[in-house]
Amino acid sequence: MATYADLELVKYLCCCKKKFSVCRLYLCKYCLQLRCTDCTQHEVDTPYCPHCLENMPSGEAKLKKNRCSNCFDCPVCGHTLVTRSTSHTSPSPDDPTKTIAKKMYYMACGFCRWTTRDVGLPDQSVASGSWPILQNPHEQRISSLLENYKIMAQIEKAEHERKKYVSRRSHLYRQDKYGGSAAGLRRKGMSTFSSMSSTESKVPGELEPSVTVDSFEPLPNEYFTEPAALVKTTKLAHRHSVPEFQPTEISKLHPIHKHLLMRKSLRCKECEHNVSKADFNPSSIKFKIQLTAQHHVPEIRILTPSTFTMNKETIVTLTLSNPSVFGMTVSLHPIEDESDTDYCSAKVELPKKELLLAGRDEPSMQMYDDSSQADEFKDDPKVIVFRKGNKIGFVVKVTPVVNEGDVKIQFMMKHEFRNTTAAALQSESKEPEIVWLEHKVYMNLGPIAKKDPNVSQA
Amino acid sequence: MTYCKLLAAHSYNQVQAKTEFEDFTQADKRSLYGDQLGSMSFLEGLSIVDEPKIIIVDIGAAYTKCGLAGETGPRCIIASQVRNPRTKEVDNIWNYSNTSELYESLKELVYALIFKHLLVTPKDRRVVVVESLLCPSEFRETLARVLFKQFEVGSVLFASSHLLSLLTLGTNTGLVMDIGFKETLVVPIYEGIPIMKGWQSLPVAGKAIESRIKTQLMEHGTVSTSEQKFEAVSSVPESITDDVIEDIKVRCCFVTDFSRGQQIQEVTMRGGHANKLPPPPPDIDYPLDGGSILNVSGRIREHSCEVLFEQDNEEISIATLLLEALVKCPIDTRRVLSSSVVIIGGTAMMPGFYHRLNCELIELLRKPHYANQLGVKQFRFYRPPTKENYTAWLGGALTGALETLPSKSLSRDAYLQRGKLPDWCCVDSDDLCEEKRHKL
Ligand SMILES: Nc1ncnc2c1ncn2[C@@H]1O[C@H](COP(=O)(O)OP(=O)(O)O)[C@@H](O)[C@H]1O
Ligand SMILES: [Mg+2]
Ligand SMILES: [Zn+2]
Ligand SMILES: [Zn+2]
Ligand SMILES: [Zn+2]
Ligand SMILES: [Zn+2]
Repeated sequence: MATYADLELVKYLCCCKKKFSVCRLYLCKYCLQLRCTDCTQHEVDTPYCPHCLENMPSGEAKLKKNRCSNCFDCPVCGHTLVTRSTSHTSPSPDDPTKTIAKKMYYMACGFCRWTTRDVGLPDQSVASGSWPILQNPHEQRISSLLENYKIMAQIEKAEHERKKYVSRRSHLYRQDKYGGSAAGLRRKGMSTFSSMSSTESKVPGELEPSVTVDSFEPLPNEYFTEPAALVKTTKLAHRHSVPEFQPTEISKLHPIHKHLLMRKSLRCKECEHNVSKADFNPSSIKFKIQLTAQHHVPEIRILTPSTFTMNKETIVTLTLSNPSVFGMTVSLHPIEDESDTDYCSAKVELPKKELLLAGRDEPSMQMYDDSSQADEFKDDPKVIVFRKGNKIGFVVKVTPVVNEGDVKIQFMMKHEFRNTTAAALQSESKEPEIVWLEHKVYMNLGPIAKKDPNVSQA
Repeated sequence: MTYCKLLAAHSYNQVQAKTEFEDFTQADKRSLYGDQLGSMSFLEGLSIVDEPKIIIVDIGAAYTKCGLAGETGPRCIIASQVRNPRTKEVDNIWNYSNTSELYESLKELVYALIFKHLLVTPKDRRVVVVESLLCPSEFRETLARVLFKQFEVGSVLFASSHLLSLLTLGTNTGLVMDIGFKETLVVPIYEGIPIMKGWQSLPVAGKAIESRIKTQLMEHGTVSTSEQKFEAVSSVPESITDDVIEDIKVRCCFVTDFSRGQQIQEVTMRGGHANKLPPPPPDIDYPLDGGSILNVSGRIREHSCEVLFEQDNEEISIATLLLEALVKCPIDTRRVLSSSVVIIGGTAMMPGFYHRLNCELIELLRKPHYANQLGVKQFRFYRPPTKENYTAWLGGALTGALETLPSKSLSRDAYLQRGKLPDWCCVDSDDLCEEKRHKL
């Protein structure tokens, strides 16, 4: 059974008509709309190394292919490698009868015990950096191909421009957005590569042609006589972790520079304001901007499970908590045009009066005396069953209209919101403007009781 | 960059002084957002100067290769899988039952590629999608929707993997065979134009080898634990996961040589007596999770890859695909095509593959059927400057680095105006489909 703390039981409708629990939504202060992750644009903030927690400027990260220069992963098991030092003694160059000790470093995996010595990498004289970087053996060839294509592309582009100019002048004809008829473009599409390569003849002798072969080495005889050495052969994951090398032997694996992570910021897709931006310091868990809906929109939860029977009114206690430091008024309304047929398996009687919530005031929260607070708010005990700090428990009356399945209800929640955006603050009063926001809320209250009384309720 | 850092640090201090829930005074607000905007536009300015790199992605049936244009290899090769948010099971993205399911899983996959591996901001960035000629148009449409609508990329170029592979060789003519996970597809390309009459495919590649290993293990395999020796694999089928099967393929199996292959097929296909089999290579004790040991027989190691070369009832194997493709091509193109074979796709990385394929071809060329029609004695093969599984990707990385990319790509504006892909987007997919209907 799902617990009543299950976040998926209460969902709010995002502006894109998808339903999410409130903790998965953001509230854009500028549009005053809920936004889910799909309704936000994700951006890369500064990359950082998850091991040494150093920020790396994005320019540098680009150059280093998003890898930390100082931290390495074990190529066999992926664990972070640790640097070990040993002292080498060697004859002193000045006096061969004496020996001098020198610190040397190697790396080892604390998990699978792999070391850089296993693969024949010589120890290094400095603790970090300096490990040899593998070079793609085809780098030269690929860059000369690229240079060649770049020249051809320039020629092609220039020709294209010239043609466009000529045709515009001579025919005064307007090309449409897609640059011509579909059929013409089809032809163009087909020749995309041919035109690119056919210009090749214009740069003769630039590129050495690729060679072909007509025979291949047969399999070495060991394949038929020796058991495959599993421990010496890399798994596919090892190979794919170094795409350009994909070694088949474990002994060819080199330490892997640790991949960076990034903190991302989120922007509202409508107005492009940030709704979430992480702190600059990678070890901090704070945010510079964090407009998660949970901090602004009152949260509704189900207090305890209830037993439902078709056509029988059941009282359900829900809690409502105010995340803001200011008092807040909330009201609940039925949804007039119930478009969601999934969430109408019961009739609901909602509190008619507005619900008043105290502000969230952390230090003094526990000191409140329930009863005095209830007096202060003049609560109707038939509606508000308890009040504690910024939270109330209130009842709704639910009458299921189906005889099996889950009892699902929907309603509209309106609540106050103090608009503190710069624009709103510039109004004369200099006081935050108070606006009312509306959200559709969808709840799953749990299953209808089975007919058979002997069956224990789920 | 340091200037930026300063700005960021400055605004950060201001925020940190307050609690998260506290509201800011007007002055605070102004300076906070002012700085924010200041640093943003500054960054944007930078990114224009320093041209953002183009994303190159090849979503294969089994593995997705992704990286940036102008680089010599992909940044990552990851399984084309995502976790289904509902069932919480990891599933291949090609196993979709409808396009909205596909949309969700492509969104996840692209998200992981961009924010976990590439660490770039997708908005307004150009993308090159490397795709197979057989890519269903609903897949392409859905991917376009994910890229343009979800990630708001600037433009997308859909390019065929076979054509792109030739770019890695500096040539425009080749008989290209892609032997990846699901199928083998041969497309002859002459002077940059795919010869549509000549394409050939067979649903036999890495997956078929894995299925063969699995059936063999289920029939004859045994598992031993400390308590029980030689228990039939079929009694503990759950221990043989797809990952285990793939690992057995990669680490234990190989493509045997031609003459042994013939002997094996004589027995397995044509009912010859088992004593005609060549002496098998040694068995392997393959350790499974939980300490039990799976016996992988020498026969499984050697026989499984035979599935690639067995000629079924219609006498088709991956080797005949190349010959049939050639037969369908105009006579004057055959000689040059036969001496420019390009093999791409991860299954070609199985040990012994090239040697065997070449022997099969030589043998087939001796048969009167082909000898008379083709007059070709020998195939010649290119060796692209890559590993087989990312050859097409590298072609994409080359195209993506060229000035001509924008004029060949579909821009977001054009896409949004239309709401779908124009038909020129994939080179000749329609022609191909027509062709396919003929063949069926
Ligand atoms: N380095 C390798 N060694 C052996 N087999 C490989 C290797 N890389 C990939 N494969 C196999 O090749 C197939 C995937 O090849 P790939 O070209 O990436 O396919 P696709 O593009 O269809 O996903 C898989 O069956 C995989 O097991
Ligand atoms: Mg592929
Ligand atoms: Zn949304
Ligand atoms: Zn680091
Ligand atoms: Zn390790
Ligand atoms: Zn907004």
